Amino acid sequence: MKSLRGVGPVQSVLWAIALVVLIVLPFTSAPFRVEQYITWMTIAVAAGGLNLLTGYNGQISVGHGALYGTGAYTVAILVTDAEWPLLPTVIAAAVVCFMVGVIIGLPALRIKGLYLALVTLAVATLFPLVIEQFSDLTGGSGGLTLTSEQLYRGSIRDRRVKWESPIDGLASDQWKYFIFLGISIVCFVVIAAIVKSRVGRSLVAIRDNETAAEVSGINVSRTKIITFGVSAGIAGIGGAMFALNKGQVNPTSFTLTLSIYLLVAVVLGGASTVIGPAIGAVIYGVFIDVIAPELPETLESATPLILGTLLVAQMLMAPSGIVGWFHDLTEKVSRRRQGGGKQDKNVDVTVTTHEVVAETDLETDPGGFHP
Amino acid sequence: MSTNWKGLAALGCALVLIGSACGRDDGDDSSSDSDNGDSSSEEGAFINPSEDCDAYDGTAGVDGDTIKIGTIRPADGPYAIYDQVTSGLDAWVESTNANGGVTAGDGNTYQIELIKENDGYDPGRTPELAKKLVEQEGVFAIVGVIGTESNKAIRDYLNDECVPNIALATGSTEWGRADEYPWYIAGLPSYATEASMWVDYLEETNPDAQIALLYQDDDFGEAYRATLQKEIEGTDMEILAEQSYNPLSGGSTEAATVSLSQSGADTFIVGLGGTPCPATLTFMPDTWTPETFISVTCGGNTALSLAGGKDVGVLLAQAVYEPGDPADQDQPAVQEFMTNGAAGGLDEGQLTGGISSVGWSFGALFGAGLEESDTVDRAAIMNTLFSLEDASFGLIRDEMDITTDGGEDPWPLEGFRIVSRTADGSWEEVMPFNNKNGESNEIAG
Repeated sequence: MKSLRGVGPVQSVLWAIALVVLIVLPFTSAPFRVEQYITWMTIAVAAGGLNLLTGYNGQISVGHGALYGTGAYTVAILVTDAEWPLLPTVIAAAVVCFMVGVIIGLPALRIKGLYLALVTLAVATLFPLVIEQFSDLTGGSGGLTLTSEQLYRGSIRDRRVKWESPIDGLASDQWKYFIFLGISIVCFVVIAAIVKSRVGRSLVAIRDNETAAEVSGINVSRTKIITFGVSAGIAGIGGAMFALNKGQVNPTSFTLTLSIYLLVAVVLGGASTVIGPAIGAVIYGVFIDVIAPELPETLESATPLILGTLLVAQMLMAPSGIVGWFHDLTEKVSRRRQGGGKQDKNVDVTVTTHEVVAETDLETDPGGFHP
Repeated sequence: MSTNWKGLAALGCALVLIGSACGRDDGDDSSSDSDNGDSSSEEGAFINPSEDCDAYDGTAGVDGDTIKIGTIRPADGPYAIYDQVTSGLDAWVESTNANGGVTAGDGNTYQIELIKENDGYDPGRTPELAKKLVEQEGVFAIVGVIGTESNKAIRDYLNDECVPNIALATGSTEWGRADEYPWYIAGLPSYATEASMWVDYLEETNPDAQIALLYQDDDFGEAYRATLQKEIEGTDMEILAEQSYNPLSGGSTEAATVSLSQSGADTFIVGLGGTPCPATLTFMPDTWTPETFISVTCGGNTALSLAGGKDVGVLLAQAVYEPGDPADQDQPAVQEFMTNGAAGGLDEGQLTGGISSVGWSFGALFGAGLEESDTVDRAAIMNTLFSLEDASFGLIRDEMDITTDGGEDPWPLEGFRIVSRTADGSWEEVMPFNNKNGESNEIAG
């Protein structure tokens, strides 16, 4: 099976192209577009966290929008009430969301599948109401604005925080972009490291057959709870980035719809692949922010319908997501080049329990790390 | 780390360095055509861009005889009904252009181009769309943005960029802070002023009113609640029972309404917007017949058609002509709206529904600002709108004394009359129009 070190030439070229595009984009785009790119990053990170739980560990969560919102509110409260500097709040959001995730994940020890999905659905539905209930802390329906004291019209006033670039020639939005790109890359490297590790193989084993995993010596309860926590922590980092990017939080930004978007990003890009959720988030963002506004006005209100139809079509044509589809394509090309030789079973996008159990101590790549 | 990854990292660092050397910086955006010594900087004017703006381009969005404006509204999702407000604004633009355009104070006639963005009523999306309108589309002004939170989300940005945000489609008391945010001017009366009119009416007709209050659990409903509490202080009126309703809950107001009906109150105030407002009227038990006030936001035919006939007799503080009201149809402003609005693309339901007519008035307020300004300049139009004297525009009732005075009196609309709904869908005046000029901020506390 391929490892991170053994990235093939095609993948290397794709990674290089992706890197160039990521770095060049903020220099060739308008500031508002750069802020949209950052929004896509926040969704990508949260979807990456969700993928760890749902894609690799098989625990379906429809409530990650609430965890994303928890991260966002943690940042907003720490900045506005406790006057924390901006970036350390991201770590605090991850810690808070880890703990919240562990608590939400407790029912997962007893229930799974659709029942767990229902529990998390309740969490997502209740989140905006809980926020409004504690309005003294959260600002209620008016939300919170991340402010700092600034001089305006001759007086010092509380105004929305700004990102001042310390580098000459780098605008504030570009500076913010690279900060958040760095955080996103760190998150995905952490996810990749988890997936590649023994823990990652445990996740897949539990997903495929809990009993077999337990027989193999995996502590199923502990692994499931910690996975929920880590997944929530990463989603919280996505939410923290959202709050820092927008400079404000409001309960209407964290409704059930957001949780569904995160699931869409995972499925669209490719569940059980590290980079799939990021690709799904970008494709979703391109549709919502770039394509949909250009649709004729009569179709504007039908945007959700169009998106839904496209998703159904994608599920029919590429059920394993964009990454899975790409992987299948490269495999076909590879086989053709080898003259229709035997398929290499070790390069499946997902790995079955039998493989994991059999290869527990070998270098395996449960979910793959495909571009 | 393998050589591959080291190589990619090195490539990344090199590109960032090259990019920062070659790319744009903050000063490269569309606002960079600084002109701090603009002619709009009149001595003593409310806004002086040479002092208030870092990089000021007062004529951005003006290209020859065309002025580009933008708006942000929910075109999909549960609040898409408010898109009808923007339809009204769009119709004003279309009909104005078809009639030759707006003749501004500089003597030139301008066509208006409206660019619409959709935030789905999510204030998390509004900032990037406002930046798109300003930075990419290069609009002169933003007009008729819908929603308190959406407008709050872009307030610092638009004020920092010195871009006018005219005719906010919300009556939040926040818009009274014009000294802090001088590039914002409301298109609706303050919700607090509206509530104070209800109390004025009750003082005349039912000074011992026992009130049951149902209010929306947000900034909008809270403005009604806080004002009612403040205004009845020292009177014999009393809020006997109150219930809040959270629109995010997705639930109905039935339980709250039935509970309030048991309170013994003789007055019912429905401080709700959207469809929950008429739905609440349908939930009122037939045995409970209090005097019922509804919010101005649900006083149109479109909303009240959902009340199942229980809208007869409800009371409303009214500031505008209702095109769907037979009693108002002879008014010249209504006739102009019906004719030009239809030409601008509004259908019969939109013309008489009471929602699109609001957006029409927003466009008319912008047009009035252009006509009265000596120059087509962002600061000049704001200074004009903040120094109105007995102005008139759109479908605002003639009795309204439209006067503003900068931060001292930033509200153009501060008057109402109280009307009662009749069985034929018209409104009968039960208390004459009362202007509260310059009082809105004080009422809001």
